[in-house]
Formats: sequence, C-alpha cells, structure tokens
Amino acid sequence: MWVIIEEVRKSFRILLAYPVEVVFWIFSPLLWVIPLVFQGKALIGAFNSTSFGSLAGTDEFIPYVLIGAIVSTYMFSAVWSMGNSFRDETYYGTLEHILSAPVRPGYILIGKGLYNSILSTSFVIVQLLICVFIFGLNITLAKIFPIFLFLLLLIVGLYGIGFMAAALTLLIKEAHGMLHMFEYVLFLFSPIRYPVEVNPITKAISVFIPLTYALIALRGLLLNIEFNFWKNSIVLLAIDCTLLPLGLFVFRRIEKRTKTRGTLADY
Amino acid sequence: MNESGHIVVQGIYKIFKKGRTDEVRAVDGVDFSIKKGELFGLLGPNGAGKTTLIKCISTLLIPDDGSVTVGGYDIYKESLEVRRHIGVLTGGERSLYWKLTPIENLRYFAALYGVPRKSVKNRIEFLLELMGLTDKATVRVEKLSSGMKQKLSLARVLVHDPPILLVDEPTLGLDPYFARFIRDFVKNELNRRLGKTILLTTHYMDEADELCERIAFMNRGKIEAMDTPVRLKQSMPQKQVLEIKCQGALDKGIFDGVREAASINVSHDDGLVYVRVNTDNPEVILSNIIELVREKAKIVSVRVTVPTLEDVFVHLTGASLKDG
Amino acid sequence: MNERGGGLSSRVFHYLRAINAENIKEWKIELTYKPDFIRQFLEPFVYLFPYFLYGFALLGGRYSEHLRSLTGIGDMVAYTFIGYLFIGFLNTACWAMGFSLRKEQWFGTLETIFVAPVPRWVYVAGMALHSTCHQGLIMLIQAVAITTFFAIVLQTSGIFLALSAVLLMLLGLYGLGIVVAGLTIALKQWWVVSEALSTLIVVVTPIAYPLAVLPFVLRKVAMFLPTTYGIIGVRHFLLGENLAVSLPTIFLRLSLILVVWLSFGMLVFLMMDRYGRKRGSLSVY
Ligand SMILES: Nc1ncnc2c1ncn2[C@@H]1O[C@H](COP(=O)(O)OP(=O)(O)OP(=O)(O)O)[C@@H](O)[C@H]1O
Ligand SMILES: [Mg+2]
Repeated sequence: MWVIIEEVRKSFRILLAYPVEVVFWIFSPLLWVIPLVFQGKALIGAFNSTSFGSLAGTDEFIPYVLIGAIVSTYMFSAVWSMGNSFRDETYYGTLEHILSAPVRPGYILIGKGLYNSILSTSFVIVQLLICVFIFGLNITLAKIFPIFLFLLLLIVGLYGIGFMAAALTLLIKEAHGMLHMFEYVLFLFSPIRYPVEVNPITKAISVFIPLTYALIALRGLLLNIEFNFWKNSIVLLAIDCTLLPLGLFVFRRIEKRTKTRGTLADY
Repeated sequence: MNESGHIVVQGIYKIFKKGRTDEVRAVDGVDFSIKKGELFGLLGPNGAGKTTLIKCISTLLIPDDGSVTVGGYDIYKESLEVRRHIGVLTGGERSLYWKLTPIENLRYFAALYGVPRKSVKNRIEFLLELMGLTDKATVRVEKLSSGMKQKLSLARVLVHDPPILLVDEPTLGLDPYFARFIRDFVKNELNRRLGKTILLTTHYMDEADELCERIAFMNRGKIEAMDTPVRLKQSMPQKQVLEIKCQGALDKGIFDGVREAASINVSHDDGLVYVRVNTDNPEVILSNIIELVREKAKIVSVRVTVPTLEDVFVHLTGASLKDG
Repeated sequence: MNERGGGLSSRVFHYLRAINAENIKEWKIELTYKPDFIRQFLEPFVYLFPYFLYGFALLGGRYSEHLRSLTGIGDMVAYTFIGYLFIGFLNTACWAMGFSLRKEQWFGTLETIFVAPVPRWVYVAGMALHSTCHQGLIMLIQAVAITTFFAIVLQTSGIFLALSAVLLMLLGLYGLGIVVAGLTIALKQWWVVSEALSTLIVVVTPIAYPLAVLPFVLRKVAMFLPTTYGIIGVRHFLLGENLAVSLPTIFLRLSLILVVWLSFGMLVFLMMDRYGRKRGSLSVY
C-alpha cells in the first residue's frame, strides 16, 4: 500500500518542479474554447442559436462548449499522463529500476492514476470556480454530489484506458501520435464541442464512448438540461466494470511481452 | 597550409557552475601542443576533464579562458574552418542514425561536410571497403553489432578526409576483439599510413602506452605530466615494482607501516586483487609485504617487474586510474 | 578538403546541400515509422470535421447569412476549410522546427552533427524544408479530398498570387520556428512556449472567423502575425473574400513581417546557441 502512496508523493514532487505545466493544464480548456466562441459569433452573430438548441437542449452554445472542454481536458490530461508516465520514467532514467523492483507495476499504475485523479480533479474545481465567478455559472450544493459522482464514474473508466495507453507506450515508441489520434477521434465522435445528434454517424458511434454519458449527465446537471440520471450512471458503471479489468489485463500482457523480448527502455 | 595538423592549446579553462556556490573546474589551465602527424594521448581517470577538453577543441563548448588553434585556425573566430579540418569520434555513445543504413548515414554526413558530389560515391565505397562493412552497406544500423557500429563511426569520421582526428575513448564498451581492431586501425592505418594528427583520450593505460607517441596525464582538470611513455616510466625514481596477485579483500591501509616502499597501489581486476609496490630494492621488503597480504588474502602469484604508466600516474597524483 | 571554405557562392551551395540532405534524412527516418506516417495523413481529416460539425450544429446547415454579411462568403465549410488548410504550416514552425534539435539529441547525434562545418541553424532550416514538403503533401491530399467531398468551388485565376501570399507567410513562420528552436536549447519546458504560441496564433488568426469579430486588442495582435495576412490573402484569391485592407498593403506587411521575424529569429537562435555552448547544457536533458 505504501508503494502507492510513495508513487503519488514522488509524482507530486516531480510535478512541483514544473509549475508551468500546472498552469498549462488549468488554462488549456479555457483557451481552446475561445476560437469556438468567435466562430459562433461569426456564424450566428449572437451567442445563442435555436438550431443548436433543438439538438442540444440549450440555445447557449458557450457554456455547452465550455463544459465539454473542461470535462474532456479532465479526461485527456489523465490519459496523457498515464500514457506518458512510463515514457517520463525512461527520461528520468529510472524505469528499469522500478520495473525490476519487487513490486507489481499495477501498483505503480494505480499510484499514478490516483495522483492523476487528485490532480485533475483539483484542476476541474479551479476551472469550475472560474466559470462560477466569471461566467456566472450556477452550482447549487445539491448538485455537487452528483457532479462528483459522475466525475468519479468517468475517471474510473479512464484508468482502464490509461492502462492501455501506458501499455501502448511500452509497445510502440511513437505512442504520442497514437494518443493524439485517440484524442481527435473522441473530439469527432463524442459530444465535446457539439451535440452528436448533428449527424447520424457521430450519433451512432458516440454510444460506445463513455465520455458521451458523462458529458450528457454533467451538462444536464450544470445547465439544467433534462437527462436520464439512472440510465447514464448505470451505463457508465457498466463501462467502468469492463474497462478497468480489461486495461489491467492488457497492460500485464504487454508488460510481460516487452520483458521477455527485452525491448523495454529502448528509445 | 603547412601549419595544418597542429593543435595548440594555451591556458584553457572551463568551469561549470553548479547552483550558486558549487563549481566544477573541469578543465583548469591546460597547455599543450601537438605536432603534425603525432599521436598524442590524454590519459586520466573518470571526470578528469578529457571529454570537456575535446569538446572545447571541437567547438562544441566555448572555453571560459585561453586560446586554441586547430590546424592554424582559431576556435573562436574560425570555428567553421576548425570543424572542416577535424573528425570527432566518441566511443560508447550513439553518433549515427540507427534507422538509416550505413550508406545513407555516410551520404548524409558527406553532404554536411561538403564532400564534392562527384567523389561521394567512390569515397563511401572506399570507406566501407576499408572498414570491412561492404556487405552490411544496406542493413539498418540498429541491426549491426556495437563493434560494427563503431567501425561505421570511424568511416563517418573519415568521410571528409580530415587531417586531424579527435578521438574520445574509442574502445569504450567494445569487446577485446573489436578494441584490438580499433587500436590497430588508429595506430597503423590512420596515424602511420595516412599521417593523421590524432588526439586520443582514454582511461586505459595499456591503450595509451601502446598507441601514443606522447602522453599527457590529466587529473582534476590539470595536466600533471607530459612526455613519451618511455620517458614517463623512466622518470620514476624507483626502477622496480613488486607485484602480488591475490584473492580476497584487501585495503591499502594495511600497508601503512611499510617504510621502504615509495608508493603502494591496490587495484581490482577480474575478481583478483593486484598489489603493486614501487621500490628500489624489492628483495628487502618482499617478506614484509607478503606477511601483511597473507593475513587478509590468498596469494596467487608474486613477481618483480618494471613500472607501468599506471604506476607513474599513482606516483604523480596519488590517485588510481581505475578507481578514480 | 584542405583549402579554405571558398567563396560566398560555394558556401551558399554547401549550405543548401546540407539543408537538402537534412530534408532527405528526415523523410527516410520518418518512413521507417510506418504506422505513424500513415496516421499523419489521416489525422487532418479527423481534426477538421469537428469544426465543420460545430458549424452545422449552430447553423442547422452550412450556409450562414451573418458570415456572408461579414466576409462576402456564405459557405461556412469552404470558409473554415481554407483557413484550417493553410494554418497547417503553423506545425512546421512551432513543432517541427522547434523539435529538430531535441530530436537529434534523443537520437544521440546532436554533437556529431554539431561538429560538421555548417552553422547550426542549417539543421533547423533543413527541418523547415522537410516539414514544409511533408505538410504541403498532406495539405494537397486534404484539399483534393475535402473540396470534392463538400463540392467546394475554388477560383483558380488567383492561384499564383495565392501561393505567393502563402510563401511569404511561410517565410515569416520560419522566423518563429527558429526562435522556438533556439529556446529548446536553453529551456527544458520549451514545449509550453510552443503550445502557448501556437494557441495564441490560432486564436487571433482569422481561420474560422474574420478579424471583425475579435476584440480590439486581439485584432491588434493579429496585425503582427504573418498568418493573418497569409490566410486573408489566400482566401481572397481562392474564395473571393472581401478585403478590409488593400492587396498591396497585405503583401507589403507580409514582407515587412517576414524580414523582422526572420532576423529576430536568427538573433535569438545565435544567442541561445552561444549560451548553450558556454553552459554545455545541450547535452543534458
Ligand atoms: N555540461 C556540464 N555541466 C556541468 N558539469 C559538467 C558538464 N560537463 C562535464 N561536467 C563535469 O566536468 C567534469 C569533467 O568531465 P569530463 O566529462 O570532461 O571528464 P572525462 O575526463 O571525460 O571523464 P570520463 O572518463 O568519465 O569520460 C566532471 O566532473 C563532470 O561532472
Ligand atoms: Mg569522457
């Protein structure tokens, strides 16, 4: 158990050496929303669109996109740093030591995951506070619990994806590009920037992405849009229950493979 | 151009700052000059500053003070000319594109060095032939053994036929067979036959002894002595060495009471311990030393020989090359 | 090889040859990572569609009356597409050029190439050439695919002027790229600079919206960027966008910007190179 805690502490210490990175992750969602705001202004000439409303349940596209940005950044920062964690370790030159230590790499991964979720959750809190104070977003106390419930449900499933991303970086050296591609695919097929109902293809594919359910639920809570609480939470829970073991399984397999083939840490 | 081949180093300093107060005096006031066609060796333990010195000469680092001319060109003002006239080889490290083949690598470097287009093809064929890599010419470098990689690095260094070579630990991490090849090649082919001026660094004393016409002992950024290997060895006041090879754990401290010895060095190699005693009259102290050793270790052999460069180094600096 | 470097023309020829060798080497190395190579050609499509779909969601179609009143172009897809197509060159500046020296460091070849008798900016220039070719190829494929798919009609009469605007923009971006490349020598976290710069440029450049919708301050910032004039120019020539500034002004400013940026970039790079050689910091990560 202390291995996990040690891992968390070590990661935090490394992070504190890179304060720019922290600032970057906090402001990044706000930054990439800005072009979308201007694009909306150029296309519509106003900040609400009835056609958007008929698809999304809210006319106001800026809060809609903003929440998409925050939640997706929450997710991507987690996947990225999980995937990166092993790459980073090779840079710090310690990967071989860690993997040869008598500890299951799974624990290290969980440590990293824990560290990531603490970190990204605190980012989300800061971002939501910014939204509350600057954009007048309205969060009542009663909503806080469900909000965190859905964030939790999202992040647990992410562990599974994160494990697979970490495995990918062990397997192919250019995993960076692959993770980017993964990101773009999610941008395209889940309701991060726009309601997927805009197109039958995106709508069909979005059903398989956990982020879709989390976004529907969180937007529903924050922007007071109707949504099915039980359906979304149960689907997310079911996804978590499959992704997490699957991720661990994939990671173990690939870790074993790289160990037997000796391709580890060869960059 | 008759000055080409000279390396003149005068009063070079390179001090790295570590934090506010800490500093590493990597090169601490070094002077020497190398004649055209000479094979000059810098011998020193890890961290002596050899690589830093080579980097200064090859314009990778700007020294804090001092002047260096290479082939008559000043490293500050004419760095491009300096680089045109040198070839730099470092051992152990990656200096080639592993994803490319030997031919592709050499072609790339030929373009960087401005080798005339017409002669590129011949030059590459010649070099691959010379290094015995012709049949590996189109295999990706990552698939070559480390000895072959080092051979290819040598070919790369020679691609523009530079008159001066800076060679940093060329046999680091190579097996004895390839190390032998590289040494012979440097000595016979590059120095003797092609007449290249060579500055070679190493921390293998045998390598320096065997290859170099002159040697500079470097320790903690300073040159402690500089001469031909023969004269360096003759400079020892004691002309004989008592060497005891043994098994076990020995500490230099146990010899503290021995008075007749000028210096005593204990080193470890291949699981064996070597005790070397510099002295003028080995017969006198033989029994005394053997007594002391026998208490701690099992003696394998005892012999009386002449001093090596290692002994000279220990004598001059009190530090050992191997454990430095 | 023992005579001096020769005259100016032979030196220029030597540098050009080195730049081209760098370009060829990059292609060869890139082609050894096949999946990554294929991905790079697919990615722009996956990247572009969300911008279109966002527009669809807002408009309920691809025609925007408001955009037409602002720019003279009503087709949101065509407008956005041309913008995103040419901003692709930003990658060249912010990432490819910036990354060039770091990458050599990872290969372990940095010091080896740094002792070759060419100035160090030549490697960055080689990377610029490579990335421009690479990016150009991707853009060509993108342009053909998207214009066909969405039935976008481009005006071909202005193609020559459009390309010269793009060329000037590119040269200006190279100035930016060489600044970033210089910063990588001194800064560990250079990618944050790169990320921040590219985000800023993407926000203020009129890619998916005209300058008119930007707040005053951002509009002023946009005036100093080559991308602004490049995109405005190319869209004017290919789609007939209304111009707020005259054509000669556009070309004049583009040329001015490129001179300023390139010389500033070179200055920063040479300073950083010197700093790196004093500290010996390039060899440590
Ligand atoms: N860029 C740098 N910044 C700070 N210190 C450095 C730097 N480069 C070298 N040093 C320090 O300078 C000293 C000399 O190092 P150098 O690499 O020149 O030694 P060396 O004789 O080549 O040793 P080795 O046999 O290990 O190669 C060392 O203490 C090293 O830590
Ligand atoms: Mg060294």
